[in-house]
Amino acid sequence: MKRKFEHPAPSERELTGPKYWRSLDELAATPGFKAQLEREFPDGASLPDGVDRRHFMKIMAASFALGGLSLAGCRRPEKFVLPYGKSVEGVIPGLPRYFATAMPLRKSAIPLLAETQQGRPTKLEGNPTYAPHGGASSLLAQASVLDLYDPERATAHTQDGAVLDAAAVNALLAKIGADYAATSGEGLAFLAEESSSPTRSRLVAQLKQALPRAIWAEYEPVADEPPLTAAQSAFGQNVKPLYRFAKAKRIVSLDADFFHSEAGSLYYAREFAKGRRVASREDAEKMNRLYVAESGFTLTGGMADHRLRLASSHMLALAAALAVKVTGSSTFAPLAEGLDVKAQWIEECAADLRAHQGESLVVAGAHLPAQVHAIAYAINSALGNIGATVDFVTVEAQGATNIKGLAIAIRANLVKTLVVLGGNPAYNAPADLDWVALQKSVPQVVRFGYYRDETSALAGTHLAAAHYLESWGDARTVDGTVVPVQPMILPLFGGQTEIEVLARIGGLANADPYALVFQTITALAGGDADKTFRKFLHDGLLEGSAYAPVPVAFNADAVSALFAKAAKFEALSKDNLEVRYVTDHKMDDGRFANNGWLQECPDPITKISWDNAILISPRLAREIGVYPQGSFLQIARIEGVESDPMGRENSHVAEITVGGRKIRGPIHVQPGLSNYTLILPLGYGRTKAGHVGTGAGFDVYPLRTTGAMAFATGATITLTGAKMVLANTQAHWSMEGRDLVREANATGPDSYAENPAFVEEVGMEAETPSTIGEEGRKMTPAQRATLLPRGNSLYKTPDFQGLEQWGMSIDLNTCTGCNACVVACQAENNIPIVGREQAIRGREMHWIRLDRYYSDGRADAGAFGGDNNREIPEDPQVSLQPVACMQCELAPCEMVCPVNATVHDDEGLNTMAYNRCIGTRYCANNCPYKVRRFNYFDWNQRQLDSLYLGPVGPQGMPELVQMAKNPEVTVRMRGVMEKCTYCTQRIQNGKIQHKVKTAQAGNPADVIVPDGTIKSACQQVCPVEAIVFGNILDPESVVSKAKALSQDYSLLGYLNVRPRTTYLAKLRNPNPRMPDYAALPLSRVEHDRKNHPGEAHPAAEPKTGREHAAQPVNPTFGGLS
Amino acid sequence: MSQLFPKSANKLPLQIAIYLVVLVGLATAGVTYYMTPKYTRVGYAPVQPVPYSHALHVGQLGLDCRYCHSNIEQSGYANIPTSQTCMNCHNQVKKDSPLLAVVRKSYETGEAVPWVKIHQVPDYVYFNHAVHVNRGVSCVECHGKINEMEVVAHAQPLSMGFCLNCHRDPATFVREKADIYNLDSPTIAARAGPEAGSKFVHDWKIKPPQSCTGCHR
Repeated sequence: MKRKFEHPAPSERELTGPKYWRSLDELAATPGFKAQLEREFPDGASLPDGVDRRHFMKIMAASFALGGLSLAGCRRPEKFVLPYGKSVEGVIPGLPRYFATAMPLRKSAIPLLAETQQGRPTKLEGNPTYAPHGGASSLLAQASVLDLYDPERATAHTQDGAVLDAAAVNALLAKIGADYAATSGEGLAFLAEESSSPTRSRLVAQLKQALPRAIWAEYEPVADEPPLTAAQSAFGQNVKPLYRFAKAKRIVSLDADFFHSEAGSLYYAREFAKGRRVASREDAEKMNRLYVAESGFTLTGGMADHRLRLASSHMLALAAALAVKVTGSSTFAPLAEGLDVKAQWIEECAADLRAHQGESLVVAGAHLPAQVHAIAYAINSALGNIGATVDFVTVEAQGATNIKGLAIAIRANLVKTLVVLGGNPAYNAPADLDWVALQKSVPQVVRFGYYRDETSALAGTHLAAAHYLESWGDARTVDGTVVPVQPMILPLFGGQTEIEVLARIGGLANADPYALVFQTITALAGGDADKTFRKFLHDGLLEGSAYAPVPVAFNADAVSALFAKAAKFEALSKDNLEVRYVTDHKMDDGRFANNGWLQECPDPITKISWDNAILISPRLAREIGVYPQGSFLQIARIEGVESDPMGRENSHVAEITVGGRKIRGPIHVQPGLSNYTLILPLGYGRTKAGHVGTGAGFDVYPLRTTGAMAFATGATITLTGAKMVLANTQAHWSMEGRDLVREANATGPDSYAENPAFVEEVGMEAETPSTIGEEGRKMTPAQRATLLPRGNSLYKTPDFQGLEQWGMSIDLNTCTGCNACVVACQAENNIPIVGREQAIRGREMHWIRLDRYYSDGRADAGAFGGDNNREIPEDPQVSLQPVACMQCELAPCEMVCPVNATVHDDEGLNTMAYNRCIGTRYCANNCPYKVRRFNYFDWNQRQLDSLYLGPVGPQGMPELVQMAKNPEVTVRMRGVMEKCTYCTQRIQNGKIQHKVKTAQAGNPADVIVPDGTIKSACQQVCPVEAIVFGNILDPESVVSKAKALSQDYSLLGYLNVRPRTTYLAKLRNPNPRMPDYAALPLSRVEHDRKNHPGEAHPAAEPKTGREHAAQPVNPTFGGLS
Repeated sequence: MSQLFPKSANKLPLQIAIYLVVLVGLATAGVTYYMTPKYTRVGYAPVQPVPYSHALHVGQLGLDCRYCHSNIEQSGYANIPTSQTCMNCHNQVKKDSPLLAVVRKSYETGEAVPWVKIHQVPDYVYFNHAVHVNRGVSCVECHGKINEMEVVAHAQPLSMGFCLNCHRDPATFVREKADIYNLDSPTIAARAGPEAGSKFVHDWKIKPPQSCTGCHR
């Protein structure tokens, strides 16, 4: 039936009044009703005057009936579509747009592409135009988008509690500039963070010119670039090293965590992986070798082929000893005296370096003193590595005062106005400065910051900073390439940018940050200004702006002056401990404390989330009496008789004293530490971070003084008797001799080179007939997926009729365990955080997790379930393994679902239909990989501190947080199971985009998406390209090729679940001449000992260096410290 | 001899009758609620803030769907036109009509015209217009003869069963590329027989997903 409606002419109200209540009344068109509706829309609480309730209901009913809608009103809510008034160029609702920008951090930046959904950025990816990163990004970059939508960020400019509007702020800043112009800046001081922004450095130079007597100080709590003094004395130039890891065959790291905490770590990890990836025997022979000496346990140490546990304060001696052996000159010999490291270790390491002149590399940690760097430069110079594996580039000379200098000025009452730009000195300044008192003593403090934090609390004026995704700016990457910082959205709360503040104080006529950046870039680039700038913004980088390497010559004489000041190291013991302050993996220096994604992300080595802990070695734990007595080998974290019944880490709280300063924190016994070093991760214990960050962990900064910013000796530790439960997400640390991570040495006896298909001889598959039969083993992955029958079960298995069959391969050989995939997945898939209390209960929701295993080659069959070897390994090898849903072709979860909420699709995905799920959790119970996650609470709608209040508690998601969600993925509710979907939204959208493209091009039969178009979020972020994803039906796809490699294996393959995700085995490349050489990776030794007890396995006996079996209780190892 | 049934059993027939009435009532209510077109909102035709007539603009004047719903071939969403699109013509035609006051105001202020949403799938359904219109599915299959509607009404149930109808048998529903926006055109199968429809589906490799991931993410 055709409907014909005569529309009533719009009333005056319709033309002028609010537009939202416009349907029922018009349909009803009852004159009396209309008149009543002149009022607020009646909701029963406020009824129209002169009409009794009965009459009102009558009219209501009539109006519904007239409209022919009857029950419609209570069926679905009326919704509106709100198009733009004026069309917006380039915006197509429903399609994301991508803009180039960059995340600045200290003196470097990560170039990014920001995905915006109708104006709001939701996801960040690496900018593929920047070749050194190849489209990858980092953990911190992935999480930084959440900060933009943090409801607790500073939302207004304030002065003494009163809100300032933009005009007042501008007037205030201009007044500061004008007032101090009279005194040439005397009495004015700035404290800023380090920055690589060319615009900022230009403005600072202008400011210094205009106000020559003003103090410009910079402070960063952690160092991520080598000290310039080392380069100054070694080369007589202001240069910094840029390492070319891809060219280095032998790499020695002196306490340098170049996979995570050093500047440029993304580039370095990526380059390192290039020398690590193995596809053939030839690759295995050419594989690089990594020697790491370190005090803590970093990701770099986890990748090491030879790892030496050595206190940070002894690094100088090790560097000197190495230099003696490499160069043959005894200049540095006195520095190495008394070093307690096996001579053979140093000799063989040096010999290996000498054998690889020009293709070796020695890297020293940024936190180490200049002397160590100078020696590293000397070694690299002697090996001919300069210009080959390490380039030196000129950097700007240090023009800023340090925080100590500023403190002296404040103490001398020379500072009347202090402008604190970013940072958080009240929290992280060295303890001996007593910054809180200093800042209070300054008459006027203007704080420019993103959060209203510890420093803001002491400042009279707080100016809200804009997030970098709201700012115009620029920055340089570690290699000097200039990249734009482009806003994706107008400042949500009217925040200003740093350059804007500086320009206003400097009295610049035009303080518009866009104009400032435009001036800088066009002056740098030259040529047609508009064109250059457009290209700059489009590409996301200024082509050719990278620093050019400069020739340097090592000057041995000049260096000697540096060593006059070298401190002699001390022997360490239980009563003279070393403390090492480390940049936290997630909180960095504390600036990301209110980021829930980062707080909940477990540390890759300790696996603790939401907290930091005092990390101590098993040896020290024994000596101070917190060694987990009588615990089973595989669960090291059940401590003593008070063990938590749930197997949670119930740790002792200890007090550390260094130079009279004390802090308290929980102890975590960490295998692989230098014996007498306490590792203290910075960035926790914030007191004014916001709901997420306040109170997480303990604050280490009160220990740290200007003289010992990275490490200090003379510390003692005492137990307080208190206990504290930590949210440790992986209490289990042993593989129990199983074959989860399969490893081999690259070369040597029983190695990959000897037997590239070694994975088939490890584990259950080697002991049992193949689940897929001989025929199945000969098939390609594509044939296995489509031809091999999946039957003999009551459960109807899916037909894989799809034109594409998705699969994934994860290369354990290059995976460094950086956690970027975990948070990238969280950002892409709207994964909620659950908070500390729920994480303790093991309810974290991450779809992909990183399993971490230790092995020391000592566990045998008796260790598992028996009484043997209940020791925490002191010097283990670590194996990391990312685990997400494997998309099993014969998925055990599907067979037990009573409501068919999890079923297969025809492209091989194990799907979750959320609205079918009734929450029985059978699927999670039946999942052999434990990758399914259950929404125990409505994480999205409830606040994490009132989960147990039920309906009484507050409900709803702040609008700001809603903006962070990816509109392409359902937000799940309570009682629903969820898990990795291979980013099915990306697959679907990728297929749709491709089909649309080919159909419009007149080629509709081309429906197969080209390889590499669809990337899962974890794949896209991975700095080392360890994760590849694609169509396994295409033999030329990257994933097919990876799966065809001989070292490809299925995790728990013997269960015949036929996972679509498979792993490439991990290879190690130890040097047979080293004292700690293990002819088989230690996990394999444990595997063989468990599965073939009594069988002599010649390769399984480690050489003397590790001597584990001989001395089980107090073993001595290669690197004593 | 004691009584076999307690005295309260006398009420049992009445109780059973009441239970039956309630049960049947619930069943009736359930069927009425869930199994009639009202549940899927077929026939829903809310009054829009501007009495825009598709019958006039499309049926009589012959505007192409894509003039206003301009992004439909690229985006998953069939965009509602911006007020600017309306004003392209209406700054000349009927430029002082009181019916268009809302549009004019929106154009001036940039505030949206609050069009009432008619076709609506649940939030967990990710329907994509672009791939349908580019690959042989005409607007008319889901939206009905919009070109004859004075006021747009919900024509089809848009339930999962409705979607699967076509996804299981695309050959019956596909149209030639030229006919996609011609709402009066016949399907290939109707014009040239079911074989022609099947041939089109085969040639274009149309394989609409029938598993969860096709629409639910």
